[in-house]
Amino acid sequence: MFPSIAWNLISLEVLMTIALVGLIIVDILSPKKTEGNLIGIFSLIALFGLIGFWLTQHDLSGSTFGGMFIMDSLAWFFKGLFLITMVFVFLMTEQFFKLSGKRSNAFYFLLWLALLGMCLIASSADFLLLFIAIEILTISLYVMTAYLKSDKHSIEAGMKYLILGSLASGFFLYGVSFLYGITHSVRFDVIQGFVSTHPMTPMMLFSLVLIFSAVGFKIAAVPFHMWVPDVYQGAPTPVTALLAVGSKAAGFVILIRLFFGVFSAWHVEWSLVLAGLAAITMTYGNLVAMFQTNIKRLLGYSSIAHAGYLLMGVTAGSILGASAINFYLLGYLFTNLAAFLVIILFSIATKSDAIEDYAGLSRRSGILACTLLLALVSLAGMPPLAGFFGKFALLMATIKSEFLWLALVAAVNIVISLYYYLMIVKRIYVDAPINTSPIIVSLPMRLALGVAMAGIIGIGIFQGPFLDAAMTAIQGMHF
Amino acid sequence: MMMPNLSWILLLPTLLLGLIFFIPSDKPTLIRRISMVAILLPFLLSIWVFTAYDSVAGGFQFVEQIRWVKEFGISYHLGVDGINSLMLLLLGVASFAAVVASQSIKDRIKEYYILLLITIIGTYGAFLSLDIFFFYFFHEIAAVPVFLMIGIWGSERRELAAMKLTLYLVAGAALALVGLIALYFSTGLNTFDLVVIQQHLAANPIPLAVQNWIFPLIVVGFGVTLTLWPFHTWAPIGYAEAPTAVSMLHAGVLKKMGAYAIIRFAIGLMPEAAHTWMPIIATLAVVNIIFCGLVALTQRDLKYILGYSSCSHMGYILLGLACFNTISLNGVVFLMFAHGIMASLAFALAGFVADQTKTRNLDELGGITKQMPFIGTCFMMAALASAGVPGFANFVAEIMVLLGSWDQYRWQTILAVLGIVITAIYMLKAIRLGFQGPLNPKWNKLVDAQTLVEKFPFIILLAVLILVGCWPLIISKHIETSTKTIVENIVKK
Repeated sequence: MFPSIAWNLISLEVLMTIALVGLIIVDILSPKKTEGNLIGIFSLIALFGLIGFWLTQHDLSGSTFGGMFIMDSLAWFFKGLFLITMVFVFLMTEQFFKLSGKRSNAFYFLLWLALLGMCLIASSADFLLLFIAIEILTISLYVMTAYLKSDKHSIEAGMKYLILGSLASGFFLYGVSFLYGITHSVRFDVIQGFVSTHPMTPMMLFSLVLIFSAVGFKIAAVPFHMWVPDVYQGAPTPVTALLAVGSKAAGFVILIRLFFGVFSAWHVEWSLVLAGLAAITMTYGNLVAMFQTNIKRLLGYSSIAHAGYLLMGVTAGSILGASAINFYLLGYLFTNLAAFLVIILFSIATKSDAIEDYAGLSRRSGILACTLLLALVSLAGMPPLAGFFGKFALLMATIKSEFLWLALVAAVNIVISLYYYLMIVKRIYVDAPINTSPIIVSLPMRLALGVAMAGIIGIGIFQGPFLDAAMTAIQGMHF
Repeated sequence: MMMPNLSWILLLPTLLLGLIFFIPSDKPTLIRRISMVAILLPFLLSIWVFTAYDSVAGGFQFVEQIRWVKEFGISYHLGVDGINSLMLLLLGVASFAAVVASQSIKDRIKEYYILLLITIIGTYGAFLSLDIFFFYFFHEIAAVPVFLMIGIWGSERRELAAMKLTLYLVAGAALALVGLIALYFSTGLNTFDLVVIQQHLAANPIPLAVQNWIFPLIVVGFGVTLTLWPFHTWAPIGYAEAPTAVSMLHAGVLKKMGAYAIIRFAIGLMPEAAHTWMPIIATLAVVNIIFCGLVALTQRDLKYILGYSSCSHMGYILLGLACFNTISLNGVVFLMFAHGIMASLAFALAGFVADQTKTRNLDELGGITKQMPFIGTCFMMAALASAGVPGFANFVAEIMVLLGSWDQYRWQTILAVLGIVITAIYMLKAIRLGFQGPLNPKWNKLVDAQTLVEKFPFIILLAVLILVGCWPLIISKHIETSTKTIVENIVKK
């Protein structure tokens, strides 16, 4: 008997696949020597169509494929995050081709594939589907990371990401196999039932640690962070942005599903370990970030630190904690994408990612300087910007769950991070420019920068509706 | 339905700030004029709020409230009582004097005024907010603009100064934030509304054991802003290197936010813990007064003397906060106002001298009153005010603090009086070396403040200082209505 399938639940992913296939067909049919960027434009149009479609799925809820695939408020929220991220990543890709000189449509297909993988991750209710979804995302990222074939940093990054990523995948499968051995299932609902009636056993702990290490790799938590600096630096900037925002958010949706849903009955056992990891991750990321000279590398370490802040929300283990993660990721999306947009526009003009070359940027391009200022200050967590309220919500969750020491560690970390962000701000605004030639930013890019800035400020000031959305996502989640 | 009067204080300058963004930077005069209007309007409004506040009725007036984040119980809640209506007035006077004194800024004018306006709007917001979240929110807005202003328009060691000041203040604020969130959860009310929390805690206080660890987080956290010893080292260098308007505003008004927060959130909400901790603070306050005063004695740099002097005077505020009686708390609020005006005036004068002579070293200056009679006289008056000479507002304030503390902290009060002598010594030293005596021939061509615009900031600040000094009743009525309830609450416990 073939089980009936509720196609409407999975329609977003189906449409995504259709779009991908359609674009490949367009690519094959179109003449090879076309000047314009047909695929890029079609991709953006398709993406906006999908965003429109995503909006209609607001109240969709249910599960299909025998419970493997679920659509709930959490999945809906994260799919939105991924779609918005992709809009910016597509725009960056277009700029990136300007920088590298060679256009390649395959890059777009890989981005579409990564998007599909991320959306599937958000909807997985089964460890096997989750594994496949993670692989779809990760394999396309492997290829894109090593995309600059002539650049040895890019090759190194791709290699590093591939080796460590495969290791993480191996861990994941190994952990799942233990889980299957104990619970006789890979489905979230069955395992959740098992967990709520059984105490933690050493073997269960072992399998959990393996699974966590694989997800820890995705979110770049210490000690699974080794790949981050090299990959962030070496990968093409759009891919770095995708890693920093999309891939990290995908990791956190898994963590939310696992630690707030499936394994929530064991909260007490793991919360202390997570608290320790959070503290180490943020402190390590911030301390090492202080000494970086390449801005992408610096953002890599800062992204490790942010994984640490976000882990505070997982530690809290409350609805408040999970909502804080969601809100934080939303603000983090606009903040980081704004920063990477500036980085790519700057590198087109100067061919450089060195922080010292940013000296006097404010006199070369007002809008680039202003966007980067807002992004960095928001990353540091200063009001009235998005990053402030995200950190505030995470601190609230942490203190409510009585991890006062962790909140104090985070407070110290905010000061450390402020130091290195302000050092860049100082370079941009205070130092005299080495090269005074103005950097021209095209109108569409100004618009994109404007949207990112509006996001940073809007979320920072009108926190209410965004927190509502973040909280609704958690309250309506199935696992 | 009440008219949203207080919101205009925030909205008008914000709208004009938005306008400035769209003016091309090659129109400096226009930007200057709009900024002046943007700062004059809230100043006039705050004068109106201050005079319209009914000190007989007391309590919070002009209240307006909009629900903001319902999950956390955050609301945009503005209102004034005697304390913050006075702080508004202080900010109004000081910010207007500061913007007029910014005429000497010639470089990157648009950015300068944008940052200055953001700082001032944030400070207004902090003083107006009756919601703990929004207080913190507005109070932190100023951090990065101040960093940039010191970094870009400061003097020689500006980069170190900017970084040190910002990191110290943000570290203190982050510590205080942890304390404030802990306070929020320990009330169990799920609201950040100060008024609601106040009413609730008056009847059901937080358990003493909990109060005892939240209280120091908040007091030390905001104490950093108030240059509580040993966290004061950011202030002298920060004020010395900052452009004139920033040192005027920061020494005059922004650091008073620390004292304001301690009054509202620490002493006002956790009076039991105040009994445990404030005696320690009283001792630290004396260290502030004596230690920073002695350091000021050794300085040769005019702005460093003023910076250390400002740290030293914060000791009186801290000492007054540690006493649980109306007279010293009145003295504290009075001193916040008086010192704010005096510090703005002194930094404005020092900034003027430094701009003209390109030096702040007292050994290089000398006898400049001969060339600058107006500035020299004003500085003399500021120094006398600082030393607590009767006739100036500071005298009234310091006397009130010391009278109040005498019964509770005998030896601290004696040492604090000694601090006044130290102030007099270093202030007179600065005048003798820098302003009086034989004129250093280098300064033969020095020009005094000439136009009314140049003289204006000094005149207005000095006028307020003398007016309030001779007629303290115009502000003390407001202060008393509001401090009374706080003190009654403490004494009851």
